[in-house]
Amino acid sequence: MSELAELPPAPAVAGIKLDGTGTYTISAVENAALCRSTGIEPKLDGTAHPIYYYIATQVAMGQTVAGLCAVCEFDVEDGPMMGSSAARFSRQLRTGATYKVTGEILSLIRKRSRKLGVMDVLTYRLRLHELDGTTVVETDNVWVLPRKELA
Amino acid sequence: MSYAVGDALPPFTIESISPTAMKEWAVFLADPNPIHLDVEVVKAKGLGDRVINQGPANVAYVMNMLAAAFPNATIEAIESRFLDNVYGGDKVVASGTVRAIDGDRVECEFTLDVEGRGTVNSGTATIRLNA
Repeated sequence: MSELAELPPAPAVAGIKLDGTGTYTISAVENAALCRSTGIEPKLDGTAHPIYYYIATQVAMGQTVAGLCAVCEFDVEDGPMMGSSAARFSRQLRTGATYKVTGEILSLIRKRSRKLGVMDVLTYRLRLHELDGTTVVETDNVWVLPRKELA
Repeated sequence: MSYAVGDALPPFTIESISPTAMKEWAVFLADPNPIHLDVEVVKAKGLGDRVINQGPANVAYVMNMLAAAFPNATIEAIESRFLDNVYGGDKVVASGTVRAIDGDRVECEFTLDVEGRGTVNSGTATIRLNA
């Protein structure tokens, strides 16, 4: 029997929808502040900083960060960590444009690591759509949820 | 600007990561996690003695490096791995290398390095030229 077999299984959350209930508009003023906070000037052609792929999907998905952790039976105070983030753009993001978000949890896999002990690896996918349904970016994010209580 | 496989991209440097910018990012992300805002919380959690930069901000520095290296091009895909934290006051350098060129698409490898501590973020990106 493997070590993992001795652990309780990770919560069965794969497939849970993360569709947003509202919309997200990239403010030109906020985009300018964001660009300057990263050491550049905003573009003058109406395109937004591409990091809005992450910001817009996180803010407008159907859960807060704490709520997404809670779905995984994890207390946000225990310190979720970003593992990786991937994005595939179909169009550039634009200031003044309004978007909506759909998405779902892909997996929650329990693992044992030398550094962190027991952890759950959460993978979820979010898509940013224009209001006519056109997908402009799809992102897969991976978070590491250290399970101190199981270490 | 024209590149060949193996070419290094011009680096993008932030001389000192700003705790004030972290407060702005807490608003951008609608995420008031105190490890980005309050050094006492960072200490209490045993995570260090300086506030911790938001992970997506680190990706933004890499995107700035790519945008400067490829003016008028767009990022078609990017994948970033978060290897370590960036702290307030850190000097970070985003750099990259051309890995492959296929028509109007350029594949790059990149890293984000903290002076004195090494790589904290690495990954790959596909740039579409003349999009």
